[in-house]
Amino acid sequence: MWTRKASFTFTGGIALILIGMMIANLQMMILGLTFIAFIVVNSWISGHGDVEVQRTLSADNLYKGDDLYVELLVTNRSNRNTQLLEVYDNIPHEMKLRSGLNQMRLNLKPGESARIRYVLRCPLRGHFSIGPVSLRSRNTFNLGVEEMYVDHHSDIVIFPQIKEVEEAFLRSRTPKMYTGATTLRTPGQGSEFYSLREYVPGDPFKNINWKAFARTGDLMVNEKCRDAVTDLYILLDSRDIARIGTVLKNPLEMGTVSAASLAAFFLKRRDSVALAIFDDNLSYLPPDTGDKQYFKILSALAGVAPKGTMPLQAVTNSLSGRFSRGSPVFIISSCEGDGTVPAAVRDLVGRGHEVTVLSPSSIDFERLVSRIPRMSYEVLKLERQNRLTTLAGSGAMVIDWMPDMDLSQALMQVRGY
Amino acid sequence: MADDVGLQRDVTVTGEMSPRTLHLKLLRKQWQIISLQVIATMALIGMYLEVVSNYVVDSIDHTMLFDTIEILIGDQLPIGDWLTGEGRSGLARFFVPLVLGMAVGGGMALLAFQTPKVQQRVKLGFIVTLIVVLVGQLLLSWLTGMLFSFDLRLPNSNELSTLEWPLLMILSLMILFLYLLPVIMGVRGIWGLSRRSIAWAIGFTLLFLGIHAILAFPLINGQLGSYGDSVNVIGAQFSDPTIGIFGVMLVTKQQFALIMIAVLIMVFQESSYAVIRYLEYAYRLPESCKRDPEYVRQMDNVLNTHLKHTFGFLGLTGVATMVALGFHSVLLGFVEDSTGSQWAGQISESIELSLTYGLVISAAMFLSIMALLRFFVPWERIWGLIYARKNADALPTEKQVVEI
Repeated sequence: MWTRKASFTFTGGIALILIGMMIANLQMMILGLTFIAFIVVNSWISGHGDVEVQRTLSADNLYKGDDLYVELLVTNRSNRNTQLLEVYDNIPHEMKLRSGLNQMRLNLKPGESARIRYVLRCPLRGHFSIGPVSLRSRNTFNLGVEEMYVDHHSDIVIFPQIKEVEEAFLRSRTPKMYTGATTLRTPGQGSEFYSLREYVPGDPFKNINWKAFARTGDLMVNEKCRDAVTDLYILLDSRDIARIGTVLKNPLEMGTVSAASLAAFFLKRRDSVALAIFDDNLSYLPPDTGDKQYFKILSALAGVAPKGTMPLQAVTNSLSGRFSRGSPVFIISSCEGDGTVPAAVRDLVGRGHEVTVLSPSSIDFERLVSRIPRMSYEVLKLERQNRLTTLAGSGAMVIDWMPDMDLSQALMQVRGY
Repeated sequence: MADDVGLQRDVTVTGEMSPRTLHLKLLRKQWQIISLQVIATMALIGMYLEVVSNYVVDSIDHTMLFDTIEILIGDQLPIGDWLTGEGRSGLARFFVPLVLGMAVGGGMALLAFQTPKVQQRVKLGFIVTLIVVLVGQLLLSWLTGMLFSFDLRLPNSNELSTLEWPLLMILSLMILFLYLLPVIMGVRGIWGLSRRSIAWAIGFTLLFLGIHAILAFPLINGQLGSYGDSVNVIGAQFSDPTIGIFGVMLVTKQQFALIMIAVLIMVFQESSYAVIRYLEYAYRLPESCKRDPEYVRQMDNVLNTHLKHTFGFLGLTGVATMVALGFHSVLLGFVEDSTGSQWAGQISESIELSLTYGLVISAAMFLSIMALLRFFVPWERIWGLIYARKNADALPTEKQVVEI
């Protein structure tokens, strides 16, 4: 295809020839003819994008905030020079270039190849695809241009970030039935003796081994062996209302991070973790343990998008039959726009589950993007506090999670209720 | 753009100079860039000399204008003849002014690379000097005259006559500047990397050619009377060609000069803009890419290709134009030689076919054939195959890239 320059040159050439003919001016005619000859001669070589492209990624799965190293190998397999070839690797707009550049101007001789290397930062979780590769070939004097693309994609999954959870607050009241298969010899809350260790401030006095203290002169505490594994159920609210806030900070993002972190923590302890995500429908991942389950949970969380308005009670009604007796249930929801939350929580508590509600404060997220009058904010905040107090009154442990609060810091609040 | 776009650094972390990067400091000294700038400068000078030798010298050149002014004022202009070229003949009148124009253009380019503070100081200095030269002598003599005679008065004629020399000097310099505008602006554009200056140089040349063409148009030329006689008219009547290739005479010497002007304009334009385009691309690259050997290698490839194509394609453009211009005589000769009939004789003696219309139609026909040729002759594949056969052993499938 002709460029604007070529069109102007051609039109100018024709115009000069015609004017030259009209006023019998040889210089104008020759200038016009030279312009046309320039275009004709240059049309012999147009350049091409007949190249082979191969993309290599440093990883197929990453955690949110990690860097992705990309290398694009462009090889000219034809018997022609590519001429001036602009290669542009299309990257998802959610990703940011951290180093290098995803484009290059090159001129490959037959058989020659070039590498384009760049680093991407992945600030958002999700399923992404890098590609296709856009090519634009020009001739040297920019008279002809061809645009094409190589349909070469590389898929990548960005998992939610995993935050360190220092202490587990939850433990099943009822030991799991098949404990033999997953007997743990790790320190934790239990009945069997595990080991002696030095006293650290905060240890309960009842755990101090006085005999050892008398023998050694140092305060020593008994550490117990964790005597059961737990089935943990995580219910994640992914309704449309969970999108309140910014792209990076909203109840859903915080919810996915907390769900992933809790799942990682419990799976590391060899507990079983189940995940239910409710939006316009319910997707349920049955409890399981191990790396495979970890990967399944992260993949499910990576693809979560806010949509729908499914009430929590519909979720608990359909799933409560599958919950192990006495298992802890984690509900991650802003508890906004759903009047069934208290009833659902009451129902779960009534069935003997230890329910923890981790509630990102949506009103504070909304404040990040829009100005709310002080009085309205106070009223909304009060309403929210009342709602959470109702839930706490139902027997659930309720965590009011503010946007600027760490997950572990938020979990500490459990003791307050 | 990536985060690492920042101030340019041409030293490595260890403090040593990096051997090859795409930093402007290094790239501006790279031989391909220098070559392109030199080619552009030579094309500019060539184009200017061709234009003045064909249209200006002995017709409307600056020395003739200076002579007229000197006759009008009845005195010599303050600017020296050695500088203006007065007294010399032909193109030699333009040699010294040309050097002067290049020096001024070079100075302006050099100034463009200084800091804004230095630029401001130089400009201020120039303006102050100009004012001092213009009115300094007048003010000095007038004020001291008033002081010594202790009289408040207007400057007298003797004092006012001190303005004559600076005014004539500035007028002479302005006339020279006007004549040398394409050279000054062109040199400033090429070496000072200014697109606007290049456009000025080309635009002014084309404007001059346009105005000249209008003035040379017989209807208007006739209205100019004796002034019209001084316009150097290049007519559309052709003599026998004396310049050709492979023994075939295609164009006259005059036509060849006009082709040279057109081709040199294009060489100047393409080379000078290319330098700016490539340096801009390199400047916009992030720091990590400037240090990446792959980017450096590809920049070399692109620049080398541009150099080759500048010679190859623009040379071919000139040849193609020559052949196109001479094509009508070749065709007419072919018709005359091949048939020998009465019709062929009439055709070969046709005035219409041997004049402007015939020339343009046959040239357009030749260029159309050439344009169609690309669909029958795969030039790129032929050259690619030649290259591949030549470099079969030397060219590895994948080149090793040094990790940075």
